[in-house]
Amino acid sequence: MTGRQKKQLWHALHTALILIAMFVMLVPSLWIFLAAFKSHVDVYQLKLFFTPTLENFGVVFDDPYRLGEKLYNSTIVAFVTVLFAIPIATLAAYSFSRFSLRGETLMLVTILATQFVPAVVIILPFFVMFRDIGLLDTRVGLILVNLAIVMPFAIWMIKGFIDGIPMDTEEAAMVDGSSRLQVIRNIVLPMASPGLLTSAIFCFIIAWNEFLFALILTNKEAVTLPIGLALFKGEEGDLWNLLSAAGIIIMAPMFVLALMIRKYFVQGMTMGAVR
Amino acid sequence: MPAVLVVFATAIWPLIEAARLSFTVGRLNRPGSLDQYLGWENYTWAFFEEPAFWNSVWVTGVYTLLTVGLTTICALGLALLLAPGGRLRSSAQTLLILPFAMSPALIGVSFRFMFNPEFGLFDAFFGVMIPPLADVSWLADPNLAFAVVVMADVWGWIPFLTLVLIGGLASVPRDTIEAAQVDGASGWRVFKDVTLPQLAPVLAVVIILKSIFSLKTFDQVFMLTNGGPGTATQTLSHYIYFNGMKYGQIGYSASVAWLMVIPMIFLTYAYAKFVFRKA
Repeated sequence: MTGRQKKQLWHALHTALILIAMFVMLVPSLWIFLAAFKSHVDVYQLKLFFTPTLENFGVVFDDPYRLGEKLYNSTIVAFVTVLFAIPIATLAAYSFSRFSLRGETLMLVTILATQFVPAVVIILPFFVMFRDIGLLDTRVGLILVNLAIVMPFAIWMIKGFIDGIPMDTEEAAMVDGSSRLQVIRNIVLPMASPGLLTSAIFCFIIAWNEFLFALILTNKEAVTLPIGLALFKGEEGDLWNLLSAAGIIIMAPMFVLALMIRKYFVQGMTMGAVR
Repeated sequence: MPAVLVVFATAIWPLIEAARLSFTVGRLNRPGSLDQYLGWENYTWAFFEEPAFWNSVWVTGVYTLLTVGLTTICALGLALLLAPGGRLRSSAQTLLILPFAMSPALIGVSFRFMFNPEFGLFDAFFGVMIPPLADVSWLADPNLAFAVVVMADVWGWIPFLTLVLIGGLASVPRDTIEAAQVDGASGWRVFKDVTLPQLAPVLAVVIILKSIFSLKTFDQVFMLTNGGPGTATQTLSHYIYFNGMKYGQIGYSASVAWLMVIPMIFLTYAYAKFVFRKA
């Protein structure tokens, strides 16, 4: 074999491997996607071609499943969590980034460390407390614990973005007599806004996909979408077409959001990681 | 510093409270037992009287080793494959983000779907490739169920690790690689002697991060096998959940939870060291 042929063979092999890898990564979501449009009968066969139907989506929102309520809960919980987390985290991140505080490294490490504590550990006290003060199965309770997951993550991530903003403009404005808060509002916020948006989307995805807290803290009123999946375990086994339809409703918005921030994806994920 | 206070209230307080609970009788159905001091009995119970505890330690250990190893190797391979860039490769990188936006619970569900013995896609696939595996009830056999849980986890984490490693590969200077190639080093030699040492810090971070996540795996296990069959796939997180929430033994599960925090402290320390050395 000549060198040229060898090179071509390598190239073909690489392309094939990449295609296989892409296929493997996509198949599970694709299969769910297909199943969501299959009728009750078709889902139990490995058919690739079938008459698509929207029926499943209708059933899922109807009695007794009422996925609409869960969708509402998920949206409210994730949205309010982000609404509180981002402003507070921004202020904290700004202080960490711009002032040298005593014990700063220690504080940052502690904040990072809380991210790594297994959720099962901190959920036990929360459960007991919420039971005592009547926050079990409420959206407020869920928002509170979601803040616990999202905050450390948001602080680290936003700090990374603010660190990247040069300090000169800020100092110039301060010399001209602006106060610290004015500087933050007029200079830092506009410059950091892509970073803030990215962080907000990250936090939204985390809160949206959160499972364990919602599983333990809710049972009827405040149930979120991921927990709602369990509804479709019927007496005679799993109702796969409905499960898939619900799965699409959970996945689709997150896919869109993830694609929006794909440039910052890795950067964000290494700094604070999902609990 | 309101944020620090919030973090403190939502993360540190529960840790301390969990530690306190771990020394109490702590039964959900018995009022007052959450304040009833018990001493170290919960811990000695876990260590000496509960084979189920050791079982889940074993499951979690093997699970962590396997998932960390497999995910890292697969991700490294994929990263090397995708790093050069180009149209096909960058669209592949975009696709990699999608599985990561999928919630772990949903990954669990989809894998249960795929491994259904009657109409699962993977089952059909493996049945054709390896005939003895046709129509096997994957999730009913302890070893196979464990393998499926590992597969689901590896599948879910490859994208993220790959993207991180691609970032790491981008920082390996090209001229060193080219110099080695000019000197006549084979592809494998270049990888082993040039790329790998340069990539080592990123790899270390990736391995530590993945270990942390593997140790506390819960969502997929819960949706995929719920710890079963029997306790074949019961990870520590699942064991704690079961004892605390299903049996109401808050005190006992808090003590097991604290035992779980200890390896986390070491891993976090290692991670922080790497992150701050880079900064």
